[in-house]
Amino acid sequence: MEININKTDSTVTVEFIGRLDTPSSLEASKAIEPVLEDAGKTIILECKDMSYISSSGLRIFLTIRKAAAAKGGKVIVKNIGDDIRNVFMMTGFLNLFEIQNG
Amino acid sequence: MTTKEYLSNNIVKEFAKGGLVLVIIAALTLEATSIIQFYFSQKGIKEEARMRAESEMAATELKILNVVDQAESAVRNSIWVAQWCLAVPDSLQAVARRIVADNPVVVGSTVALVPGYNRKRPLYAPYCYKMPGSDSLCFKSLATKEYDYPSQEWFSEPVRTGKGYWSEPYIDEGGGDMLMTTYSVPILDRDGETAAVLTADISLDWLTDLVGGIKVYPNAVNLVVSRAGQIMVCPAESLVMRRSFMEVATRADDTSSVNKLGRSMMNGDSGQMVFKQKGKTYHVFFAPVERTGWSISIFIPDSEIFGSIKRMGMLVKLLQLLGIAMLILILRAVAKNQVKYQEVSKNKERMEKELQIASGIQMSMVPKIFPPFPERHDLDMYGAIIPAKEVGGDLYDFFIRDEKLFFCIGDVSGKGVPASLLMAVTRSLFRTVAGHESSPQRIVSTLNDSMSDMNDNNMFVTFFCGSIDLLTGHMRYCNAGHNAPLILQDEIKVLTVDANLPLGVLPGYSYTEQECDLNYDDALFVYTDGVSEAENIHHELFGERRMRAVLSQRRSSKEHLDAMERAVSAFVGEAPQSDDLTMLFIHFMNDKTKDERERHLILHNDIQQIPQLAEFIETIAQDKHLDQSLAMSLNLALEEAVSNVIMYAYPEGADGLVDIEAVLRDKSLEFIISDSGSPFDPTAAPVADTSLDVSERQIGGLGIYLVRNIMDRVEYRRENGKNILSMTKNI
Repeated sequence: MEININKTDSTVTVEFIGRLDTPSSLEASKAIEPVLEDAGKTIILECKDMSYISSSGLRIFLTIRKAAAAKGGKVIVKNIGDDIRNVFMMTGFLNLFEIQNG
Repeated sequence: MTTKEYLSNNIVKEFAKGGLVLVIIAALTLEATSIIQFYFSQKGIKEEARMRAESEMAATELKILNVVDQAESAVRNSIWVAQWCLAVPDSLQAVARRIVADNPVVVGSTVALVPGYNRKRPLYAPYCYKMPGSDSLCFKSLATKEYDYPSQEWFSEPVRTGKGYWSEPYIDEGGGDMLMTTYSVPILDRDGETAAVLTADISLDWLTDLVGGIKVYPNAVNLVVSRAGQIMVCPAESLVMRRSFMEVATRADDTSSVNKLGRSMMNGDSGQMVFKQKGKTYHVFFAPVERTGWSISIFIPDSEIFGSIKRMGMLVKLLQLLGIAMLILILRAVAKNQVKYQEVSKNKERMEKELQIASGIQMSMVPKIFPPFPERHDLDMYGAIIPAKEVGGDLYDFFIRDEKLFFCIGDVSGKGVPASLLMAVTRSLFRTVAGHESSPQRIVSTLNDSMSDMNDNNMFVTFFCGSIDLLTGHMRYCNAGHNAPLILQDEIKVLTVDANLPLGVLPGYSYTEQECDLNYDDALFVYTDGVSEAENIHHELFGERRMRAVLSQRRSSKEHLDAMERAVSAFVGEAPQSDDLTMLFIHFMNDKTKDERERHLILHNDIQQIPQLAEFIETIAQDKHLDQSLAMSLNLALEEAVSNVIMYAYPEGADGLVDIEAVLRDKSLEFIISDSGSPFDPTAAPVADTSLDVSERQIGGLGIYLVRNIMDRVEYRRENGKNILSMTKNI
């Protein structure tokens, strides 16, 4: 799992590359801590190279979403594959995030 | 007092007791012998003394009698002349003269007429004598008023008895103070009437010399006592003729004995007697001198007779004492040696006991409950250490972790307690390291580094360490200078091993790891050189060929090791077992197909193992030609269920396993997840409410929700202390 974070004045882009399974999520939860501080900005979660997500990965998404909600920010989940979209759907996450593909 | 001192004191005491008895017995025996010897020698010596005294006395008597005879014959030969001259008294002087002149022993002679026999000469006693110191003869008359010869004993006795008579000795004051005695015989006339007395005086000066010359013993005292008890001859000259024996006897300590002796002597008895005088014991031998009425006696001090025997006795005693002293010394030395010996043997015993204990510890350290894994059907293994008499440093160990058999065998250089201790250290390090480390190479490297650090004695351990994945039969191993194990497959081969250094030689040494695959029914015989290098009396080695012969039979692991032990024992025969025999036989019996094996996964309760699930699902997906989405969903469901177990089933830090079995059916896939953790039913846990808004959504509860959503059936049960979660997906 690789996580790249790019910040601009108004946006923070978090790129997830690889499988966000349980052990990866443990690392990721630390990696995204700086993102939570900028939760007032628009947070873009780039998922085009994320091949897998488990519930612990979902929890990271939720954590970011909650932080943004608290600070009035906005979270955009970009380019999720069908399988992951399916998981989002199963878990009701589709309703929590703004999903942008393409 | 320490036990040792107590013991040694006890030994010394025991010995002292025993020794004392021995010494006493020896002393008594010696004493008894010497007493008996002394008794008989004393008897003999006493007898000898008596014989010597008696023969001397007899000889002396003979000499005396010789003189006495001369005097007597001189007198007797003149009797007839005297008778003839009686008629002419004046001629009698010539008779006396002739006696004196013709007989050298006679110093004086007289013919004294019985008073009144001759009317003309009422008293007549012409006396002829030798002048002392010359041969010239003198004459005088004894018929003087002062002398009054008829009253003299030499005259009256023969007249009275009519027989010859030896007078009591006397000192002749007129004739040079000589000790004299007189022999007198009566002269009868033709009518038979006693007419005169004829005498011959003899000097007894020679008697003193004769008797004084008897030297039975250097300090013996010889006495001659007259009939009346006068002391005639005695070394103390002051007593001669001045004291009677009885007078002297009154001064003796043992008066009664000496008196008795005196009486016996005066009675003319012969014999012997013992008396004490001034603390000294005297033996007296006495015998009479015929005719004279004298008695010769020889006084011999006890010390003279028994002096030599007493000296010899003393010498014998001294030798005895010396002998006994030596005996005591020897006993002491022996006792001390005994103490030493006992100490040595105590020490030896203690050491042997310690070695036994060490050996016991050694044995208790290796797994010894066989079969070790009775519940397993995929593994038949057996291990044995047959220790040599002296505790050695062989070890083996094995255990199963994460469905992997970890095993090792080792041989510590050297013997005895140090080797045993190093063996214990090695074994406990192996347990510790292999408990979390799965690579034999890293296990061996870690052991080597630890042991090189603390190896002050330059001891080393040849070591073979392996791990066999019991699900796949895949073996990884690392050999640190140990004998290459034999691998039993289609044929018996020597397992290829890299030449690595033994443990403890070089810290930081990079060991190499090798691997191979075991198939069903393959086996591994791991051993120490105690087996291969067992020596018989001809110094031949047991060797690989014989091992192969034993292993070529089809047997259980236990039977293999028993057979090997028997074969080695038979080969070695009378020769002592010089080294431990240590063997492990590992028979891999997992008969599941490769596919079946691949449908089983066991994970440690470590979240980092989660990615293995993806691989697991991947193989199943390929197997069952599942599409990518379904595979991912299954992976997700499995991950949620398994990570749940990993994170919550076991207490934090505790080791635990999660067993995942996939059951593949035509229309469904079942995953059975089991663990030995605390009871937990995930199906009963609260499920996340996915309908809530962001602010209300809970972080937890998603996992089981996903499982339920993905899977068609999820069931939990608790069985045999295990949580078993069954998840089925219809396909």
